[in-house]
Amino acid sequence: MDSGEDAAQRPLTLDIAGVGNEEPEAHAPSEVAAISSQPNSTDVLFPEESIDLDAEAFISPQDDSAASGSMMDKLNDQMMESVLISDSPNSEEDDVPIDSLLEQGEDKESLDSKEPEEEKKEDVKEEKTEDMVTANQAADVGAPTPDSPKGQEEKVEVAKATAKEEPIPVCTIFSHGMQPKTLVPDGFQPTLVKSPSFSSGTNETPNKLAPLVCQPSPSLSKFFTDNGTVNPASDFFDSFTTSSSFISVSNPNAESPKAVTPSECQLSSGSSTVPSAEHQDAGTPSAYFSIGPQDSTPKPVAGPAEPAATMTTLQAVFSGSDDPFASALSLSEVDKRYDAWLPSEETRRVLISVATQQVNPVYVERDRLSMPGLKFDNLQGDAVKDLMLRFLGDQAAMKRQVLTANSVEQNFLGLKQLISTKNWRAAVDLTGRLLTAHGQGYGKSGQPTSHTTDSLQLWFVRLALLVKLNLFQNAELEFEPFGNLDQPDVYYEYYPTVYPARRGSMVPFSMRVLHAELPQYLNKPQESLDRLHSMRSVCEKILTNLEEGLAEDGSMMTLTQENRQASIQLWRSRLCRVMYSMANCLLMMKDYILAVETYHSIIQYEPQQRVQLLSGIGRIFLQIGDIRTAEKYFQEVEKTCEEKGTGPAQDTSVLMNKAFVYLSQNNYAEAHTCFSSILKIDPKNPVANNNAAVCLLYLGRLKESLGQLESLVQQDPALYLHESVLFNLTTMYELESSRSMQKKQALLEAVACREGDSFNTQCLKLV
Amino acid sequence: MRLTKPTLFTNMPVTCEDRDLPGDLFGRLMREDPSTIKGAETLMLGEMLTLPQNFGNIFLGETFSSYISVHNDSNQVVKDILVKADLQTSSQRLNLSASNSAVAELKPECCIDDVIHHEVKEIGTHILVCAVSYTTQSGDKLYFRKFFKFQVRAYLTLLYYFLFLYEVFLEAQIQNITTSPMFMEKVSLEPSMMYNVTELNTVASGKECSESTFGKMLYLQPMDTRQYLYCLKPKPEFAEKAGVIKGVTVIGKLDIVWKTNLGERGRLQTSQLQRMAPGYGDVRLSLEFIPDTVNLEEPFDITCKITNCSERTMDLLLEMCNTRSVHWCGVSGRQLGKLSPSGSLAIPLKLLSSVQGLQSISGLRLTDTFLKRTYEYDDIAQVCVVCPYLSPES
Repeated sequence: MDSGEDAAQRPLTLDIAGVGNEEPEAHAPSEVAAISSQPNSTDVLFPEESIDLDAEAFISPQDDSAASGSMMDKLNDQMMESVLISDSPNSEEDDVPIDSLLEQGEDKESLDSKEPEEEKKEDVKEEKTEDMVTANQAADVGAPTPDSPKGQEEKVEVAKATAKEEPIPVCTIFSHGMQPKTLVPDGFQPTLVKSPSFSSGTNETPNKLAPLVCQPSPSLSKFFTDNGTVNPASDFFDSFTTSSSFISVSNPNAESPKAVTPSECQLSSGSSTVPSAEHQDAGTPSAYFSIGPQDSTPKPVAGPAEPAATMTTLQAVFSGSDDPFASALSLSEVDKRYDAWLPSEETRRVLISVATQQVNPVYVERDRLSMPGLKFDNLQGDAVKDLMLRFLGDQAAMKRQVLTANSVEQNFLGLKQLISTKNWRAAVDLTGRLLTAHGQGYGKSGQPTSHTTDSLQLWFVRLALLVKLNLFQNAELEFEPFGNLDQPDVYYEYYPTVYPARRGSMVPFSMRVLHAELPQYLNKPQESLDRLHSMRSVCEKILTNLEEGLAEDGSMMTLTQENRQASIQLWRSRLCRVMYSMANCLLMMKDYILAVETYHSIIQYEPQQRVQLLSGIGRIFLQIGDIRTAEKYFQEVEKTCEEKGTGPAQDTSVLMNKAFVYLSQNNYAEAHTCFSSILKIDPKNPVANNNAAVCLLYLGRLKESLGQLESLVQQDPALYLHESVLFNLTTMYELESSRSMQKKQALLEAVACREGDSFNTQCLKLV
Repeated sequence: MRLTKPTLFTNMPVTCEDRDLPGDLFGRLMREDPSTIKGAETLMLGEMLTLPQNFGNIFLGETFSSYISVHNDSNQVVKDILVKADLQTSSQRLNLSASNSAVAELKPECCIDDVIHHEVKEIGTHILVCAVSYTTQSGDKLYFRKFFKFQVRAYLTLLYYFLFLYEVFLEAQIQNITTSPMFMEKVSLEPSMMYNVTELNTVASGKECSESTFGKMLYLQPMDTRQYLYCLKPKPEFAEKAGVIKGVTVIGKLDIVWKTNLGERGRLQTSQLQRMAPGYGDVRLSLEFIPDTVNLEEPFDITCKITNCSERTMDLLLEMCNTRSVHWCGVSGRQLGKLSPSGSLAIPLKLLSSVQGLQSISGLRLTDTFLKRTYEYDDIAQVCVVCPYLSPES
């Protein structure tokens, strides 16, 4: 026991020495824990494989400082493990990681704050020891079937479902999950929530962070601490589902994911390689999930006393989940509405069997699971800066200040900040880090993992940004492990313990849309259409279900009228979104007939977009060259506008259409007049401004055209530093003079002051 | 710079829902993007015009437009600037400049602008030669030229098929061999003086409106082929003199007008299409009247027209031989009497078919009793034979 404990400490100190600041300490234990958990288990049965796994985990590109330490840890851990296995009572120690994980949330840096808690914990200690007993039992029971982690999981489920009828099979991991239930909320929650230590969370400086960032756990620890919200776990995993932050505090659903996820994580990932996982008691699983154990260093040092303390915290955290029924109720209608999806027949069968506990998720064949992982890392640079280096010199380039993944908080807030400042490349980097922290980092593809609401949201953001950055190949690569987004493990039903009573798809609808749209950018529009059509049929099926008085998924569930209406509305809009994608895809395929038909059919769902859609169809006809048909549509637009009454918006769209018709008739003078009269109504209209300038060029008035665009860019860079405008401007510079380079470089400087790293530098035509 | 039509900027909608991690971030980014359609951000086709990015392709029949800008990059005022733009093709040299008068002076950073247009009528290499002569402040006369070379390619391929019956059918096959869709604004056949033309490219549906056989949209995708069918009937005055339509005749010419991106216009007119009229031999038999659909085993009437195309008078005997499916009614071996050169006579005949389906009418034999020469007429027409009992409901 002691030796094991020492082992845990040692690497810790090593780490501290190495990095020399507090953060490392925080995550060092996690590292240790992670390692310890794995080798332990694997040691018993499949040592080689386990080593493999670990190696990979730690080879993960950025990881170097920790590597040496980790190897030592491994050795130590193995020793520790042997001890552990031999005597179950000591399993308490193993609890440390998970406890620490939980505790970490409440007070990461302030050790002082912990002490009172510890006292409390001691109070609860009795209860805890009881738990330990069950845990031990579990461990004992688990021992006979070391090669079947699945079995363990199963037991867990059973345990959960059957409400502890059979205490014996309860696996340690689950005993954690269960404990909270037995333990009535013990008043710790408030402390947790208001723990003063949180205030310190945000004070970490980017610089400090920098070295850590390389490692998965640090970034995550960052994450936890920074958020400064109540429950670190819930923060990380549920922070963005709308009402999440609120729910997560009170809602067991929100909390449990995190605590159990680690276990799942370990189970699923370890299942093939680490069959004996169940030997380990509660602590290890979470430990494996390296996020957890980054609690402040002192804890492991504290030794035997520690577990008790941590345990209480654990209970505190879980206290909310004591009543599965309540949790089921608290599952909001909104969740159900948004998460609804119809899995394929095959997937449905798997999910049902998981739900009815016929099959343990762990038994599901690997090739039916999605096992995503980053396919590339730290690729993202700043093209603007590169160009500045090349054309304007180092000094000028130094002035370029953009946010990077290092300069923001390592959490969703930081991510949002990066996105809204248009630093999408940095945002991609950040998603990579967060995903690495979740165990789906570089090189992890193909390894079993478990999903959470948040990990999938992270994937969605990452992939969406890649698409926005036109990095379609990369997006496709990383999408690949998800298959057709219909594997059982992307449904909530697959995680009955983590998300009790929650049903539907974890994959956000928008991610499905993205997934369906992606192939069209890679010259595979047919594939896109296939996917979109199947999405459309699901949407339509759900709408039919709703209209027939059933729940979204066709089950006989009574919905209140309000909820039903809201749901119908939501699914209509989703159907509409899919139709838009189909129409856009058809347009890309130049199948204008179907594209026009599809756009036309959207009008019935979105009558308020009638004007825009009809105008859009008209423009399609203009693109083909069919001016007469285009005019018919434009007339319809006029009619609609008249019905709506005249407003500036209506006038604008009518004028805009007129201008395009003139343009198509080679009447640039009239077109220019139309664009100019739009500007009289709406002087800031960027489209009209740009188009008027384009018309001027065709009228042979280059200087005027240039003057107009230049003044626009200077006066209102927010609006006019747009790809298309800049492209026009640089094209005219090239036409105007053989000395266009200087002017383009001036543009580059303007761009550098305002735009983020996602700026598409091609439009500057510098290279 | 070549001025092809500008293009509409397309944006790439990436959306998320409010509940997703980015919240309304993506939505806001899209709303703030000036190139999106306000109120319908997911509509891909925007309204922002972008200038042509490269020279692109130019095709026979299109109008070549170009912006010519002479910019004074120096810090001196230059005088008497003369800009000349010529287009050199393999066969000729065309002057495209709008004005040939010299500009008195050009200050630094100023420019002379001109937009030239030319409808391309030749395939092959074209060279745009821009020559600029000017006088510097010191009085030196300077001169420079710039060359811009481009290839003109064919936009479409045309294939013709002729079918000669009493009328001439012309099928024109038009293929779009470019990479962009083209809208066929007009494809018409201007017949020569001998013919009246009927376009067979619409299907009369309902009362007045006739629907195009090409569907709702009259555009041709890249590599798509479309057949236009025309029926040419000789004008009565020519038809009378059947013998006239012999040998090579001029049928007419095709006029094709198309449009592409934002009304970029192209036009092609073919040269006169000629055809070799098939020899009819001495006696020509054509059909004046024949029903297109007949009932099974019910007699129907046809009217044949027999024209003497030879230089001599004929004495004709008509024989009718039954085939497997077609049975003639009436007496075979009828004397038709004498027929002078270029003379013709119409004979009503009755026959019935014993087999359903599309049946070919064959088995007419004309014998010139003077020369003892027999002319055989098989496959002169086809009728569709239907069974009236098959659809009792109707």
